[in-house]
Amino acid sequence: MNAILETAPADVLSGNADWSKKLPFTSTLRFRLILSVAVVHAVLMGLFIWDAVSEQSDSLRAELQNRGHALTSLMAVATTNALLAEDLASLAEVTARIRNQPDVKYGEVVDAEGNVLASTDSRRIGRRVRDRIASSEAMPLPAGDHVLDLREDIKVAGRTVGSVFLGLSTDNLDHALAATRNEGLLFILIALVAGSVAAWALSFAATRNLHAMILAVRRITGGDMDVRVSATGKDEVSLLARAFNTMVESLQRTSEQVRSEHEKRTEAERLACVGELSASIAHEIRNPLSAIINSVKLLARGDIAEDDRSQLTGIVNGEAERLQRILNDFLTFSRVPESKVQSADLCQLVTETVALLNNDSSLPQTVTMRARLCCQQCLGRFDPDQIRQVLMNLVMNAVQAMSGSGEVVIEVAATQHDLIVRVIDSGSGIPDELIDKVTRPFVTGRNNGTGLGLSIVQRILMQHGSKLQIVSHRGVGTEVSFILSGA
Amino acid sequence: MNFAAVVSRLSACVFVIGLFTSAAAASSVNRDYYRFGVLPLQSPTKLAAMFLPLTQDLGHAMGRPVQFVTAPSFSEYMKRVGKRQYDIIYLNPLLYTEARKAGYRAVVKVGQEPFTGILVVRRDGPLQHLDPRRIPKGLRIGFPDPNAFAATVMTRQYMRRLDINVDKVFQVHYFGSQDSALMALHSGLVDIIGTWRPSFRSMPKAVRADLRIIAETPPQPQMPIAVRGDLPAAQVNQIVTTLLRLSDSKAGRKVLDALGFRQGFVRANDAEYLGVRQ
Repeated sequence: MNAILETAPADVLSGNADWSKKLPFTSTLRFRLILSVAVVHAVLMGLFIWDAVSEQSDSLRAELQNRGHALTSLMAVATTNALLAEDLASLAEVTARIRNQPDVKYGEVVDAEGNVLASTDSRRIGRRVRDRIASSEAMPLPAGDHVLDLREDIKVAGRTVGSVFLGLSTDNLDHALAATRNEGLLFILIALVAGSVAAWALSFAATRNLHAMILAVRRITGGDMDVRVSATGKDEVSLLARAFNTMVESLQRTSEQVRSEHEKRTEAERLACVGELSASIAHEIRNPLSAIINSVKLLARGDIAEDDRSQLTGIVNGEAERLQRILNDFLTFSRVPESKVQSADLCQLVTETVALLNNDSSLPQTVTMRARLCCQQCLGRFDPDQIRQVLMNLVMNAVQAMSGSGEVVIEVAATQHDLIVRVIDSGSGIPDELIDKVTRPFVTGRNNGTGLGLSIVQRILMQHGSKLQIVSHRGVGTEVSFILSGA
Repeated sequence: MNFAAVVSRLSACVFVIGLFTSAAAASSVNRDYYRFGVLPLQSPTKLAAMFLPLTQDLGHAMGRPVQFVTAPSFSEYMKRVGKRQYDIIYLNPLLYTEARKAGYRAVVKVGQEPFTGILVVRRDGPLQHLDPRRIPKGLRIGFPDPNAFAATVMTRQYMRRLDINVDKVFQVHYFGSQDSALMALHSGLVDIIGTWRPSFRSMPKAVRADLRIIAETPPQPQMPIAVRGDLPAAQVNQIVTTLLRLSDSKAGRKVLDALGFRQGFVRANDAEYLGVRQ
């Protein structure tokens, strides 16, 4: 049968569960709420602004194109008679006026034979040129083209007598579009900031009580059951806060009841323990004391032989020594000092202990002591003197369990946060009926044992936040282990 | 606009016009198209509507485009004629005598009714008879242009013979074209105008109904079409043949309909214009 004494998880013992740690801001509900509201805000505003900018851009382009067509038509009408009459002065007046129109890059009147009769570029007048364009361009223009080229043929009685060409610069349009686009981006930015601020305010209002509850839970974890959270609002979180307060009150009542019950039980257990201990002490003392009393009575008689007298004297001495040992162990058990936990090298401690035991002449030479260490240095937090005593007690128990020969191994293993110590012997093992009781005072499987060694060990380990874990196989051996916190 | 700006703009116009006219004159020798200059008897668009079918037909016949052009005024037109900027011209008999000096020769003339000038009044106007003794004072008379032969020169001569001193009896106004003069009369800007029958006929019926012809001058030789003297004879013959045969085809008659010359063209005798005097 295997007997396992469970060791509680270190985080539970230390009270540092994950939920009580401070969350990274990016993991908080507040951040996610701000992010989601801001992103939704930005996306929606972006779509809206994009649509508005597109619409305005189309409108501006259409306005430029319509203005260009209107200007071209007007130019054609205004120049028809002058074109037919080759009235260059009138044509020059028209092109001069056209030049003054906004965005006009060039304007030109060409007769049916390709002669430039009027142009905003005086160098072209009188030249016979090829047509600038075959037909009017439409918006949007190709990339890199910043002039909207328009053409209108001047027709009289269905016959083309000339053409007017007009170029409108899109620079102002491009600037207007860029300004519109920039305004759109600015609006998106403003929306983003406004949305974030609104989201922050909303999240602050929504999660304020949650934060208060988290702080309250931390204080409750620390034992403060009087803490309450503010629940003045009317929203769901305030309802939760009220429910939380109600739960804490209930928990406080329950906790007080449990504490009261626990105190009662502890007191009862303490009295029972005192009784049991008293009975055990009385039981342990009674036998040697009876032997001493009887021996002393016999020694008082004058008719006993010298050999018998000597034997009785030996009994009195032996039983008195036994009584003294029992009392010393009991005193040691009852006066285990407060642990002075510090950072120390457990591996070095084990090595020194093994060396000390190997040089102990009181131990049989047929028992081998060996240390099996995980590493050269394994720092932990413990009281070195007390843990040395723990190791000595465990090794002594192991040696006594091996009836003269065998091997005792003290093994040290390390995990990420802890050090695990195992004392393994190749003895006869612990009887099944004793394995649950061996840590109780005065419980021993040996005739000459006091039954206080493991009790002292258990008490020291409890002061270190640990417990003994015993695995024993009859005829094979016993492994006793405990865990210490790493440095 | 300040004075400097006006001078600057006028200088630019003069420069542009000079540049263009010199370019046009220089290019007349080696041009790959002919220029048909029409006396600005009417508005340019109206003249274009009349003559564009003809210039297109001539272009097809001659194997090169014929460009219709007119001028802002009679004087400008005659300046261009003097500079031989046109290859073919259509003008009145009086101005033709000037064109002859620049080297143009009449080849055909309009085969229409006699070339006469007419005096037109509004039916409800203050003047209904040309009796010098009964003409109210202060009336206004309109003409297209001082050089308009039928409308101005011939009608003035006619009234002079009636012992009417136009410049004393009337306030004289010039409106630039026949159409403008007719519209000015119809709208009451003047009380009587000098014009000619083709322009009168081209007016809308409603306008004509409000107007009345009160006098017509004795006839003169019809409006000629003349060619520049240095045009190759073959080309001249082609022009003459094309013009004379217009009435022989359906397409040609359409051209004549557009011109308003239903009877087409007939050969012109240069000598008959020698007697035309102002």
